[in-house]
Amino acid sequence: MDVLALLSPMTFLLVTFGVLVGIVFGSIPGLTATMAVAVFLPLTFAMDLSEGLALLIGLYVGGISGGMVPAALLKLPGTPSSVATTFDAYPMAQQGFAEKALKIGIVASLIGGVISLLVLYFFAPVLSGVAIEFGPVEKFLIILFALTIIASISEKSLLIGIFSALLGVFLSLVGVFPMNNELRLTPGFLEDQLYDGFSLLPVLIGLFGIAEILRNSELGLKDAAGKKVKLAKSKGSDEAKFKFSVFKGQGVNTVRSSFIGTFLGILPGVGGSAASLMSYTQTKNFSKKPDKLGKGAPEGVIASEASNNGLTGGALVPLLSLGIPGDSTTAVLLGAFVLQGIHVGPLFITDNPDLWSGIIIALLIANVVMFLMMFTSIRYFARVVEIPKYVLYPIILVMCVLGSYAINNGVMFDVWTALIFGVLGFIFMKIGIQITTFLIGFILGPSLESNFLDSMQASSGDMLVFFTKGPISWVIWALIIGSVVFGVRSNRRKKKAEAAETAEAASAGAN
Amino acid sequence: MHRKLAALTTVPILAVGIAGCGSLGGSGSENGLDVNRVRVVLGSSSTTADTYQNSHAFTTHVGEELGVNMKADAIGANRAFQALDSAKTDGSTVMFFHDMAYLSVKYGAQPEKFALDNWKVGPVVSTNPGAAFLAADEAPYDTMAEAAQWLKDNPGENLTFAVEAGGTSELSLDAFYLWVEDEYGAEVAERIKVFATGSDEEKNQALWAGNVDIIYGSIGGNEQYTKDDVEDKVREKFLGITASEPVEGYDIPTFKEQGIEVDGQPFTFNKEFFLLMPKDVEKNFRQTLDSATAKAIETDGYIDELAKNKFIPNYVPIKDSKDYIEKKRKRLESIIDQAPEFSDLAS
Repeated sequence: MDVLALLSPMTFLLVTFGVLVGIVFGSIPGLTATMAVAVFLPLTFAMDLSEGLALLIGLYVGGISGGMVPAALLKLPGTPSSVATTFDAYPMAQQGFAEKALKIGIVASLIGGVISLLVLYFFAPVLSGVAIEFGPVEKFLIILFALTIIASISEKSLLIGIFSALLGVFLSLVGVFPMNNELRLTPGFLEDQLYDGFSLLPVLIGLFGIAEILRNSELGLKDAAGKKVKLAKSKGSDEAKFKFSVFKGQGVNTVRSSFIGTFLGILPGVGGSAASLMSYTQTKNFSKKPDKLGKGAPEGVIASEASNNGLTGGALVPLLSLGIPGDSTTAVLLGAFVLQGIHVGPLFITDNPDLWSGIIIALLIANVVMFLMMFTSIRYFARVVEIPKYVLYPIILVMCVLGSYAINNGVMFDVWTALIFGVLGFIFMKIGIQITTFLIGFILGPSLESNFLDSMQASSGDMLVFFTKGPISWVIWALIIGSVVFGVRSNRRKKKAEAAETAEAASAGAN
Repeated sequence: MHRKLAALTTVPILAVGIAGCGSLGGSGSENGLDVNRVRVVLGSSSTTADTYQNSHAFTTHVGEELGVNMKADAIGANRAFQALDSAKTDGSTVMFFHDMAYLSVKYGAQPEKFALDNWKVGPVVSTNPGAAFLAADEAPYDTMAEAAQWLKDNPGENLTFAVEAGGTSELSLDAFYLWVEDEYGAEVAERIKVFATGSDEEKNQALWAGNVDIIYGSIGGNEQYTKDDVEDKVREKFLGITASEPVEGYDIPTFKEQGIEVDGQPFTFNKEFFLLMPKDVEKNFRQTLDSATAKAIETDGYIDELAKNKFIPNYVPIKDSKDYIEKKRKRLESIIDQAPEFSDLAS
């Protein structure tokens, strides 16, 4: 079959439709790429498999990319993998550079997506071997490595950062313990509601959406309206205008982040959120101006977005070369194959060359369509930051409630979860617990635990296995230590600089 | 301008929200039912597992026969039971699952209030005859019986199984354990260990990583790893299936053929899919559903869709299904009663 036959108008239309719907799903907190793929999965049964996959791949790429929109504009990540996007895109948006921040994110997403696609196309069979080499011990260490972001982003105190993350891990363990089906950390009267623990998305919505609304309500919305954000006019201001030159000097960062995303995608059971967090940490560690990160630095947006889109091609590597999905969305995607009676395994690529090429082409089209669609329309989205908070917040609140309710197809407890974590988030802000690190702990907690338990099962409970497993684990240990040292040193430097500034200001005041 | 923007933002959000939340029930269908949409909740949350595939065939063809919109919703056992528990009696919510529906309660994985007695058992619809045990291709045994013999001959070794606590995999392992204990003594049986895992994908990875010796899988899902061209490190081989009859086209011995028995009877386990409905579900609904199922299940479309994944139709009408499942449950539960606790088998 030649390439032209694979590029049928129908395939193109389905990918385009998928990307559009995916972006909508990704943009609405509570709706995710996984959900978009799951909703459309039954429809694919009536289609030719390559067409069905084109639709689902469009949804996947669109869903992952759409997550950046509310992350930048509302500080409310549309999907868990866009948490790190909020760190810099939101401050940029608040400075009036929402359009620029989003455009940087879109370009980074395209680059990340295309790099991962190339890796998938050229190296899938080779890399499937890598996926097998990474057992539970290595995956546990990789997640630990992702957690070293705490050292980089801890505001004020590293100890509080660690405590916040541990609290997040702790609460992520509420519910049934799958090893023996016993409930843990669950009050008797909530056994039904908390059987599967707190759902991640309502927790995220509560912490980032509702808690923020509560905080602003306390400050007084009239005051906030006075300090209204005005979208900087890109015509008048050079700083506000998006130029591709913003990527100048960011080549290494973009490529590194894309590869981190792709690589973590290849490892099943690590989770997509770890990718953007890990890229962000590395960007901060290697940055010439680490202090700028977290305050609206384009390189932070690039790191997060290049890596979460890098995940798309990466997660398809173990799926198409081993039949093992790399993340939760590709797990649903696999359902499309199985429904048609096709079991994806080690011989899939050699046995189905047309389908394989179709997938690659669909992925390429999806990335290009995503770029064109978002890049041309984003300036309209960016205007959301201009809506005064007294109008915007009720809308966000409605979105939060509806999104939480929709996550598990109408479970009222998910709405309560969002509200409970909204209030908890507000209290956390008051007592100094860091919301972002708490959420990172909550997101990574379950995979941290399951890989720890698998390591223990495989080694008959020998804790030393994490140090003695072999060269891969030693390399990850070196990375963990390096990352913590970098993070701590950069925090210290920052503190010293701040102390010096304060002292200078004080002496200037005394004179 | 701001108001316009606000309105433009709110309308699609509300639309998506309302569509996402979904209103069940309705004004009735042409078939005389009180509902025009039926939510079929699944006991498994995976879209790659056999429950999803069997339910897809069911919802598509029976829904068509009934003239109602039937939608499978993969929410997992506990949520599905809860949804069924709070469902209306008009049939707007029913559950689709397999034998784990009652085994999970027996194993304590689900609370007693979700036991079979609390539901109306609907028609049995299909069977997955391919539930199988597999080992790495290089393993020194080719069948489950040989694996037991190997364990006896190698006193310093263990046999570790990847199984899910409270799942059908635990049941089949229990049967094997009891047979080994009976055949070779407790000392040999005690060297059978479990490695707790969840999905089929996790079981495969545990096998490839060398963390387990034997996994529970299926012909449909694992056949691809048994082919000659597959690389050594992921190549697997079938050791036996639990179904009562061999599967056509595959040279895989059943437990029965290998002489694996419990209480003097061959151990067979056919994984069967059936419906559960609220206890007091309206008679009209269940009768209409039953006759629609009887008709749909004979259509080529239904049979062909099941055949794609090597499942077979197996219709037991509502009037007989309760007794049919109860009989099976009693036999299986007696095996569970004799078997050691999951935690005692943990390595």
